[in-house]
Formats: sequence, structure tokens, C-alpha cells
Amino acid sequence: MLTLPELGLYFSFLLFLVGLAGVMFRKNILFMMLSVEILLNAANLAFVCASKLTGTMDGQVVMFFVMAVAACEAAIGLALIIALYRTKASIEADDLKALRG
Amino acid sequence: MEGSLGAVAQFLDTNIGLVASIGKIALALVIALQVAPIMVWVERRQAAFIQRRIGPNRVGLFGFRLFGLGQPLADTIKLLFKEDFIPQQANKFFYVLAPILPAVIGLVAIQGIPLGKEIIVAGHTIDLQPVNLNAGFLYLFAMSALGVYGVALAGWSSNNKYALLGGLRASAQMISYEIAMGLALLPMVFIYGTLDLQGMIAAQSDSLLFGFLPNWGIFLSPISFVLFVVTMFAETNRLPFDLAEGEAELVAGFLVEYGSMRWSLFFLGEYAMMFTLSALTTCVFLGGYEIPWLPHAQLVTLLTPIFTAEPATWVAAAIGLGVLIVKVAAFMFLFVQARFTLPRFRYDQLMRVGWVYMLPVALLNLVVMALIVGFLRLT
Amino acid sequence: MNLSLLSFIVMGITAVLLSGVMITRRWPVSAAMVLIAIMTLLAGMFGLLEAHFAAAAQIIVYAGAIMVVFVFVIMLLNLPPEELRYGGVTVGEMILIAVSVFVAVGLGTKVGQGFLTTGLESMGVAQGESVAGGHHMYFPASENVKNVAASMFVDYLWAFELISFLIMAAVIGAVVIAKKRSAEHADAA
Repeated sequence: MLTLPELGLYFSFLLFLVGLAGVMFRKNILFMMLSVEILLNAANLAFVCASKLTGTMDGQVVMFFVMAVAACEAAIGLALIIALYRTKASIEADDLKALRG
Repeated sequence: MEGSLGAVAQFLDTNIGLVASIGKIALALVIALQVAPIMVWVERRQAAFIQRRIGPNRVGLFGFRLFGLGQPLADTIKLLFKEDFIPQQANKFFYVLAPILPAVIGLVAIQGIPLGKEIIVAGHTIDLQPVNLNAGFLYLFAMSALGVYGVALAGWSSNNKYALLGGLRASAQMISYEIAMGLALLPMVFIYGTLDLQGMIAAQSDSLLFGFLPNWGIFLSPISFVLFVVTMFAETNRLPFDLAEGEAELVAGFLVEYGSMRWSLFFLGEYAMMFTLSALTTCVFLGGYEIPWLPHAQLVTLLTPIFTAEPATWVAAAIGLGVLIVKVAAFMFLFVQARFTLPRFRYDQLMRVGWVYMLPVALLNLVVMALIVGFLRLT
Repeated sequence: MNLSLLSFIVMGITAVLLSGVMITRRWPVSAAMVLIAIMTLLAGMFGLLEAHFAAAAQIIVYAGAIMVVFVFVIMLLNLPPEELRYGGVTVGEMILIAVSVFVAVGLGTKVGQGFLTTGLESMGVAQGESVAGGHHMYFPASENVKNVAASMFVDYLWAFELISFLIMAAVIGAVVIAKKRSAEHADAA
């Protein structure tokens, strides 16, 4: 019988896979960002499970740092989305080819 | 017959934790559900008092007038029989979901409030805080943070310009004031050295400040108290911070497309959240369920000769609950008084108050209190 | 099967299914709301893992702050529902899918479990045992917040301070990026 943290690791793998599929298949930047949040959440779950498995607090602390990085990512990403929507009136990744070499 | 009674008694004895949890949660739910109807009545009566009118005083209960206390019942019946209307252009799913969210969150949040110290039943000690996580009042913060989604969703799903603006305002306002709210409470955490509300209440009642004042948070850190009460108004979307509703400029904001029971569900959630945050303030700054100058343990020893040992804890818990409700009622009174006294902020004023005044003051307060507490600990 | 294990499994399966629902939504608001539900479920799972502070932080920071900003931006732009377009999977994407499925299957079997446990053992960690190197142990749930604080402000103090610089940089960057550059920036606040 699996224990809670081991089960949690499996759930975090599954969540990560679904999130990865979201990042790969959605063409809308906003949906890509939401999928990235799923990826980070899956990582958080893995960290907390690892913290429980190893019997140390490190996982929970790193999870807190991941959260802080996610906040930064959301702030910058959403600011970019607003700026893009203002200039291009679209947030489709395919429409943003200005930097293509 | 006796055998079955014995089985029941044994079941209760072995599963006392489960039974006690259900009982505590039910008690908190009953309280939360009573808040909205009573507060609607109080609000209308007090508005009438301030505006020198009479207010609703006709509808009574069982043939008695009771100052119109039957009015909420009549209102509820009216709301129940109104047409349940969903606008054509609305997003059906979220339109239905939006009022449920604040109501559910309000009812869940109140479970984090300690309703009393503890009671002893048949040798088992039962802590009277329904949900006691180690994260303490962070649980209440988490619930109050989720409360914004009801408003935001209502604004978006109504598919109405006014409603959308109301939802936008609400979400921006919540984020802005949540920061000041958290920073206002942080000094209390390191003054008491715990996040646990029961621990905070115990810390406030075990000694006297300067020998005569109760050792309450409001005397230890008055700036935190003022900041927290102001942010509490903003978090619950009450005047003078009810920009999301704003009857004058936004018709009724996020509520504009809602009617009948769906509309009143928002108020159920709002009043439950008001009660919860007032109770949190009471626990952190005003000694919670403790009677001033009379700690719980002392009260129990006073009551033990009159009742016997175990019923004394029950009576003490009932008195404590009464004290808590009296203290919370004072805050609710403040909420209503402010609503009919203060004018509404303009939106840019709201943002300026939040970011330019409250946040720096909260940070400064935090630093100063940290230095004072650190200095006192060192000496 | 005890109650906490059962609720953990139910929460986990619901979270995974909801994440599938999320990435197939057309309306941005629907996706954001489903994501909030996933985060709340994860917070419940953290609670069951006796990481109470992580659970509270998950809801306060993630569901209560980051997602509010997402919802705010979605509502501010009033984005229309996106047309879902399927097909057009490139070779690179197919390789990625194959690798992901391979990894998932690998991790889901005894092989993966072997990797996991040997990985932990190679770090010098046996399950439920104390860890050398002065790192803070997983004490009972009643001491959770204290232990997170002890670990964060003793073992990870420099990382914590650096993170605060990162957040400061992100705030300034966000303001600069989203600021209107034309003369009409008076109403940008």
C-alpha cells in the first residue's frame, strides 16, 4: 500500500503532464500561462510530498520560493499580455512574429 | 432497550472526537446563518434611527411586535417567492455559481473562530474551536482571500458593463487591502509568539498591563488595531469601501443583474464574513471570549462550587460564547454606524489610501513593533 | 482504507481531471476558475500531508492573490472565447509527447518507483529518518509553522533575501511594461 506522500508524487507527475500538454497545445498566451501555473503547482505538490517523505522542512521552504517565483512570473507575464493586447489587439502566440529572425 | 442505550453510549465514548467536531461545526453554522437576518433588521432599524425615521417595527412574531423582529422572516419569504430570473445574455453556469461562492466561503470561514476555551464531557476535553489548524488565523485569511471570486464572477458572468466594472473594482480593491491587512496583524503574531487564536486569547488573559488594564492586543499595538479595522471594512466591501456596488455611479455594481434568493445569498456571505472578521479582531485585539479581568480558568473555579466540576465548564463556555457575541456585536454596530455616517470613497482615493497611506504605515508599525518586542525580549 | 487516504485520493484524482478540463476551456475566465479549484484541492492535499502552513500559503498567495490578478486582467481585457484549433501537431511536438508518455509510464511503474527510492537513498535519506547536515526535521503538525520559519530563516536566509529582490524587480518590471506610453497615461492608475 502506498503512503500519502508517495501517492502525492504520482498525482504531481500526472498534473505536470497535463499542464505540459496545455503549454504545448494552446496557442493563446494567457492559457499558456495558466498551464504554467499548473506545472508550478505540480512541482509544489512534489516538494511538499518530498518534504514529508524525507522528514525535513526543506521541501516546504522551497515550495514557498516556487510560489514567490510564480508571483513574479504572473506579474511580468500579465503585464506583457496587457502591453501586447494594447499594441496587437491579440494574444495569440502565432500572431507575435515581430521578433522572428 | 438498555443494551442499545449502552451501545450508543459506547459509540459516543469511542468516537467523541467525531461527534464533538460535528457538534462544533453545527453550532458555528447556526450562528453564521443567524447573523444575516438579524443584521438586516439591525441595519434597517439603525438606519431609521440615524435618519430620524421609525423603520420596520410592524412585523412581529407570535402576536408580539418585538420591535419588528419578524421583518427578516417576512423579507425571506418574499425573496423566496420572487421569480428566479437568469438574464438571457449571462453565462449561466457562473451566474448560478457566483452567489453560492461567498455564502459557502462565509459559512466555512466561521469554523476557524474559537467559540470558547474548552468543555469537559464525560472526562473528554473538547476544544471549542471547530477547525484548529496549526496555521491558526491564516486559515481565516485564506477564506477571506477567496471571498473576492464571488464578486468578480458575478460581475463577469452577468455580461453587463456596470457589473463588470464592479467586479474589476472589487478584485483590485481586495488585493490592495489584503497586504495591509496581513501586515497589520503580523506584529500581533510576534507579540504573542503564536498564530493560534486560542493561544493568543490565553496570552491576553494571563496578566494585566500596567497592573490594571487587561492585556489586550488593542493596548499593545493600537496602530495594528486601527489598520486592521479599516482593512476589514475594505475586505467585506462595506461602506465607505463598497466601490464594487456603488449605487450612485454603478447602479448596483456586481449585483445589478441579480434578484430574489440569489441576491440575498450575497448578503448571507457578506454578513457571515463580517461576523468572522469581527470575531477575528475580537480574538486578536479584544481578548476573545474572555471576560476582562476574569480569565477562563478563574471563572471555572468560581463556578465549580455552584455547579459540579463538569457542568461548570459548560456554563463557563456558554458565558464565554455570550461574551464573544457581545464583543462581535459591538463591531457589527460599528459597521452599520459607518455605513450611514461616512460617504463613499472615490476610486482613486481608495487606491491612494490603500497603497500610499495604509501600506507604509503598516510596514513602519511592523518595524517599530519588531524593534520594541526584540528589545524587550533581550532585556 | 482510512479517511485521510481516501480523501487524498479523491482530491488528487479530481485535481488531475480538472486540470484536463482546464486546458480544454474556451473562455479564459472558466479556465482561471477551474485552476482556482485545482489550487484549493492541492491546498487540501497539503493539509492532509500535515503541511498546514503550505496549505494556508497556497490559498492566500496562489488562489487569493496570483489568480485574482489573472482574473482581473482577463476581465480588464474582456477577452473573447478562443477558437480551439486542433491538428497541426509538428514533429517536435510529437517527440515531446512521446517522451512525456514514456516518462509517465516509467514513473508509474516499478521502474520509476525504483528510481525514486534509489534517488532518495543516494541523497542519504531513508524514509521517515532524520537527515544530517543540520536541516530542520519534519516535526509533528502542531509545530509546522515554527519549523517552516526555522528552516526558512536559518537554512535558507540568503535565498529568502534574494527572492525579495526578485519580487521587487518583478514589480518594477511589471509597472514599466504595462504603463501606457502615450499622453493618455493619466487614467492608467
